Amino acid sequence: MFAACSTPAGISGIAVIRISGNGCIELLDSYVRTVRAAGGKKSLKELSGYESLYGIINDPATNETIDDVMVTVFRSPHSYTGEDMAEISCHGSLAVKQELLRLLFSAGVEPALPGQFSRTAFINGKMTLDEAEAVMDVINSDSSKALRAGRKIMSGALARRIDTAESALYEAMALIEMMVEFPEHDDTSVNEEKVKSLMKGAKDELQKLSDSYSMGRLLSERIKIALIGIPNSGKSTLANALSGTDRSIVTDIPGTTRDAIESNIAVRGIPVTLIDTAGITSTDDVVEKIGVERSREAFSSSDMAFILIPPEMTLEEMKDRIDIPESGVYKVLVFSKSDIGDNPDEMRITEYAGSKGIDKIIHVSGKDFSNIEEMEDAIEGFYNASGSGSSEGLLITNGRHMTLIERAIGYIGMAQAAINDGMGVETCSSVLRSALDEMGQITGKTVSADLADTIFGRFCIGK
Amino acid sequence: MDINKALKEEHIYEAGTFDVAVIGAGHAGCEAAHAAAQLGLKTVLFTLHLDAVANLPCNPSVGGTAKGQLVREIDALGGIMGKVADRCAIQMRMLNRSKGPAVFSPRAQMDRADYSVVMKELLENTPNLTLRQAHIKDILTENGAVAGVKTEAGGIYRAKAIVLSSGTYMEARTIRGEVIVESGPDGLPRSEGLSSCLKEEGIPLLRFKTGTPVRVNSRSVDFSAMEIQNGEDDIPPFSFDEEMKGYKVMPVSDQIPCHSIWTTEETRQVIKDNMDRSPLYSGVITGTGPRYCPSIEDKFMRFADKERHLIFVEPMGRRTNELYLQGFSTSLPEEVQEKMVRSLPGLKDAVIQRSAYAIEYDLIDPTSLKLSLESKILSGLFSAGQVNGSSGYEEAAGQGIIAGINAAMKVLGKDPVIIYRADGYIGVLIDDLVTKGTNEPYRMMTSRAEYRLFLRQDNADRRLTPIGYKAGLVDEERYNRFCEKLKMIEDETARLGSTYVAPSDELASYLEPLGQTPPKSGVSLAELIKRPGVTYEGLKIIDKDREELPDYVTKSVEVDLKYEGYLALEMAKIEKFRQLESKALPSDIDYDDVKGLRIEARQKLSKMRPENIGRASRISGVSPADCEVLLVYLEALRRKNNE
Repeated sequence: MFAACSTPAGISGIAVIRISGNGCIELLDSYVRTVRAAGGKKSLKELSGYESLYGIINDPATNETIDDVMVTVFRSPHSYTGEDMAEISCHGSLAVKQELLRLLFSAGVEPALPGQFSRTAFINGKMTLDEAEAVMDVINSDSSKALRAGRKIMSGALARRIDTAESALYEAMALIEMMVEFPEHDDTSVNEEKVKSLMKGAKDELQKLSDSYSMGRLLSERIKIALIGIPNSGKSTLANALSGTDRSIVTDIPGTTRDAIESNIAVRGIPVTLIDTAGITSTDDVVEKIGVERSREAFSSSDMAFILIPPEMTLEEMKDRIDIPESGVYKVLVFSKSDIGDNPDEMRITEYAGSKGIDKIIHVSGKDFSNIEEMEDAIEGFYNASGSGSSEGLLITNGRHMTLIERAIGYIGMAQAAINDGMGVETCSSVLRSALDEMGQITGKTVSADLADTIFGRFCIGK
Repeated sequence: MDINKALKEEHIYEAGTFDVAVIGAGHAGCEAAHAAAQLGLKTVLFTLHLDAVANLPCNPSVGGTAKGQLVREIDALGGIMGKVADRCAIQMRMLNRSKGPAVFSPRAQMDRADYSVVMKELLENTPNLTLRQAHIKDILTENGAVAGVKTEAGGIYRAKAIVLSSGTYMEARTIRGEVIVESGPDGLPRSEGLSSCLKEEGIPLLRFKTGTPVRVNSRSVDFSAMEIQNGEDDIPPFSFDEEMKGYKVMPVSDQIPCHSIWTTEETRQVIKDNMDRSPLYSGVITGTGPRYCPSIEDKFMRFADKERHLIFVEPMGRRTNELYLQGFSTSLPEEVQEKMVRSLPGLKDAVIQRSAYAIEYDLIDPTSLKLSLESKILSGLFSAGQVNGSSGYEEAAGQGIIAGINAAMKVLGKDPVIIYRADGYIGVLIDDLVTKGTNEPYRMMTSRAEYRLFLRQDNADRRLTPIGYKAGLVDEERYNRFCEKLKMIEDETARLGSTYVAPSDELASYLEPLGQTPPKSGVSLAELIKRPGVTYEGLKIIDKDREELPDYVTKSVEVDLKYEGYLALEMAKIEKFRQLESKALPSDIDYDDVKGLRIEARQKLSKMRPENIGRASRISGVSPADCEVLLVYLEALRRKNNE
């Protein structure tokens, strides 16, 4: 069974979640409380193909209502994929979509792989032979999109944390393999303690990740964008242009925007939190200093940053006054106020920016908003690259990550229990493989089949 | 060479006609020849020296981690290594006893001379099998398939299938420092001519290196400076059949102990001072050596921070003083070897009887083989053992039995018998070799098996005996005994699941010392066994009336129940694996024709030509998405063929 949100990402009036696989109607039935159904039927199970019901989906864990929904049932073979299918029409808020998918995934439904609906349809004879090639093309292009999206997300803190957890698990497995493979060289009690502490480290790391999701920042799925630049580089003007409101005081006096001002806006339907900051610069003014500090914080907690360079700024000035932190934030260099003129130092600045890990460069005017589309493009591009715009949607990518991380945590717990219950280190290792399998679905790495080779490079062992 | 051309050569005679010819009577060749003959095929087994059948030129032992599992699997299929090893054991141990049952690994020291004699006798008494001492110089072909072999003496033996199991003999040379000798292992003659004959057929060859340590006379050894390592007296035999028929364990007092020592600072110094004479570092040796069985100088060089290394001193038999220094293999010159050995505790006055050497040999690149171990290039040519890039007797025998069965199947026109990764270590071994290839002698390790909890030594018969029976290698009588065992396991498992016990003082007094809270209401015996520390044996106090069952039944029942949850997790993975493995890829597929494959995947697939999607997925460079594309392609192909 697999499921995905089939409507485009972003906030919309309603959204449709599709689920395919024989038995999926029965599975869904246990979560849907019927309010009214076709022909006075009482539950999803009783519906014939192409019939719908109106019902309420509760989260069994908290017993809270997630959403009221319409569910349409398709009976095999009369469905898109040829298997039993259900389509849940729910409200289009991000939280609702994500919660529904999490519910399904935790019930054992798999997140749909790229192209899986089409592939299943083809395998089940629902598409003609002529369409086979198209299906094959879709699989690899969707999968490379998903991979790119994964990589983008993986460039940040998530990547580091998963990496840390992964390395710890590999090290634990290496120790276990050494104990098992070369018992005569084995110092079990010491190694077993090491294994335990490595597993705990990995689990804690993943738990932190999982917590950060549930705390809501990513649950709301807003992109945080920081606008960074020296005072009077045109940040507030741009913020206003993007949001269409006058949130900041726009004056020609540098430093007018002293606080990091947050505004929630939608750019082409994509939910964005725009953080309009004071420039990051060295100053003696106490009030400004606070603002600068906040800007730094804003930057480090953002997903994306626009760094504004006004026409008069030289490379030296930029180096001196704008501090581009090394971080996983997606950084866009914006030559602002292009209506006033080009920056004579542009070549050198561009070159320098490249060395600091800038992802994209655009030119934009704050006054007549020429090229403001480029910024919108950049935002949409980032959002898409994060997985949202690919055919299966960002929600899934993230909901999926969450599910996978939770499963990995579950397996590590099981592995810990195995070792504590004296089930043998190799049992622990077998379960750790499952944890790594789940994590590998996020990072795109498969558990090394050549585990032995990885391990024995590190130890001196021989029979 | 073409057989008709060979027949026109001078001093040639027709020596006989066989179904299967096996070249080399090492551990692979013995299993292969025995299997083929048992399946009713007229088989000939060639060896360079009849006194060296199933020789143990290195370790005088069989089994060990992962290797013990292999021996049990070979036996479960109807092979002979386990039976011979049981008869020649002089010390038995179960490794990894402190860990879980999945990695319990039986290991036994062998009486080396006995081993060879017992195996030879067994083969001599195998119906349909002829043993022949001869030097095979050429593999003969006709119409693109094998047709026979030619001996040095001019004999032409016709054969419909050939198993090449030439070990480390092809164009071999031994190396001790600057001294290089064209020779096989243990001073035996090397095999000449086969390499060039394989090359002519277009079969890709590699060259590897391995080595063996010195042997010393025990009379010159001071055992008081060593730590003794005794055997154990509760180890079941390797052979399941012997186990079921009932067996007598050898008391520890009848077993011969091993000893362990550590290298000294002097050892390190001697090696350091003479490294310039090491052929490994001077570049004389070009073959790739095994990382998992490195020479002692290799260990000191690669792990410079380790001050000392562990050495085991193992007996080579009951009627010899020879001792084997496990972990001390070297290719340094003989005079240096002497200094090295004498730097070891208890070996100050050691008398060396055989010196250590490194050996280089030609082998077949195993990626040119099918899972059946038949060559993809020359029809009817099977190969097994070190000539396929593996290392170790057990790895060789495991391939040998499969090559022997499949050579027979080929002649009989039947489908090959394939052991998959989820069936056994033999499957992992063969799949690794032929799918990924190897760039050093491949040693089996339990960590190579992804389904290790399922691939245990105790259930090897349950995994493989049905396959051996279906192939015809396990006879009716043995199979019936096996079925009885299965029935006992099933019945007892069911009984434990349905027998409920009420809370009692007796139960509490058993559970509390184990740190377990006694149950407050009735609970099944099966549920109790799943608790940490609780054993089948221990539950006897509340399960008094139970029937006495053999250990091999109760142990299996206990493991199955105790590990149920973990096994279920692994079985789910195995199910997925089997699904992909069952999707066969046609051998004539044109991967350039498959739209949607990435270029790298297309190149790799064209080169490797995997038999099914599961194998394709294990080729580096083939992504999961590529496999999805292949699934769609297969379906499209199926429909086109139906139209």
